[in-house]
Amino acid sequence: MEPNPGTLAGSISIRPDQEETGFESLQFREEIQRLIAVPPENASSFTALLELPATQAMELLHSPPSEDGDPAPLSSDSLHGISDDHKSYISSFNGNPTFPSNKALIERAAKFSVFASGENSPETSSVPSNSSANLEKVKSEPAETDSNPNSSQPLVSDPTVESKTQRSAKRKEREKKGKGCTKKSKNETSQDAQKLPYVHVRARRGQATDSHSLAERARREKINARMKLLQELVPGCSKISGTALVLDEIINHVQSLQRQVEFLSMRLAAVNPRVDYNLEGLFATESGSLVDSNFPSMVAPLVCPEIPFSGSRQHYQQQWHFDALQQPLWGREEDSQTFITPENSLLSYDSANSASLHSNQLKMEL
Amino acid sequence: MNPRRSISSNPASTVKSRFTNGFLQALLRINRQRITSTTAYTPREIFRGYLRVKIAADVSMASAIGSRRAWSRAILRKVRSHGRDGAQVRRMSFLAMRKRNLYGNIKCVEDAGFHQANVLRKLVPGGEAMDMCCLLGETAHYIKCLKTQVKVMGRIAEVFST
Repeated sequence: MEPNPGTLAGSISIRPDQEETGFESLQFREEIQRLIAVPPENASSFTALLELPATQAMELLHSPPSEDGDPAPLSSDSLHGISDDHKSYISSFNGNPTFPSNKALIERAAKFSVFASGENSPETSSVPSNSSANLEKVKSEPAETDSNPNSSQPLVSDPTVESKTQRSAKRKEREKKGKGCTKKSKNETSQDAQKLPYVHVRARRGQATDSHSLAERARREKINARMKLLQELVPGCSKISGTALVLDEIINHVQSLQRQVEFLSMRLAAVNPRVDYNLEGLFATESGSLVDSNFPSMVAPLVCPEIPFSGSRQHYQQQWHFDALQQPLWGREEDSQTFITPENSLLSYDSANSASLHSNQLKMEL
Repeated sequence: MNPRRSISSNPASTVKSRFTNGFLQALLRINRQRITSTTAYTPREIFRGYLRVKIAADVSMASAIGSRRAWSRAILRKVRSHGRDGAQVRRMSFLAMRKRNLYGNIKCVEDAGFHQANVLRKLVPGGEAMDMCCLLGETAHYIKCLKTQVKVMGRIAEVFST
């Protein structure tokens, strides 16, 4: 009889504990479900991904319930599977309140759009060291994201599918990264056994992994991509190597194009009053021929403005900055010092043949 | 082959055709203006006429692009604020530079292309307020549009001189 009351008492004493743990687990379950409920409202893929690591981080921070096969169901299931696993985790929960650090984890993970997976820590090391290690790990691994946002997008969208296939690759990646990051090498090697379905982005060997260098790297890659575009646009630029020389070439090209526009506008300003406007025909032929005509690369120098001010020719030529284009032709005009009549002024020097043709046509017009 | 079309009909879809139409209209306007005024052969008048045509070319190009690009917006802004005094213009450029240092990256003196980037900023309209990344993108688009402009204007000059 006596053991019975003892056992009864023992059972009674045990039950409140269970009730307490049950109550605590309920509380924590609510909190966890609240945490889980928040991300899906954002309806963005990486916060959906956050669910996985949130639970995983929780599991890491608190006593790990079971080590075998846990990553597998987690990775394969969708959100519903996660909630089932939550209950299993909560039941084995010790009630260790480390949610603030959990939230810090989530924030940090949310900061970087793709974050690397930590491993499942099978060890029951002390919680602070474990959490700090995991914080370090999660912090550095997201920081190791390669500056390749394009590749990260498909990763983020299909985390569950890719996580399995990437696990072996992740192991290699992690070993690679371990060489670069000496800080957490110990923790990594010890936790290499099991992986969480985080998304990995490869970091290059020997490269820094903090957020500043990440952003720097992304910026540099953007700039390099645009420089390649520019090199294709500017003729003769693809052979040149080195940023400064390529930029010099680009500057020269822009300057020469602007000068060409100035030359042509001067020419049009001179030509304008002389043209006999046949509007309809002019615009029709113009719009028709613009599409398929080849612009002659030679720009005809302006002849007309030289007539009235031969004395001030030097001044205007300095203003026009024509050193890039057609210098021999200008030089010839300058040296000849001939007064050119308004009729001849409309001659364009595209080719010697057309010049004579134009002069004939003009004489006929006049 | 494009059929005959006048300026008022068919909305033109490509940048080139929009630019062509706008530029030809501007040329017509300038020419009418010149005919009514004195036919001047003084250097000053000729220079003014050249400036008008050049501004007409730039503005018609920027209008063909619209507000999609920063450099076209900068050109249109410059033209619209033409009447303002020089002090305000300088103030705006200073503010633009400060904005660039805020949002762009300041640590670029030691980068490879810093000096060239400054030169490029002066060349590309509106380049003062852009960081390196945007500057390169705008330069690429600007070069493309300049090429189109040169082609069209050359063709027009050819047609006018025949």
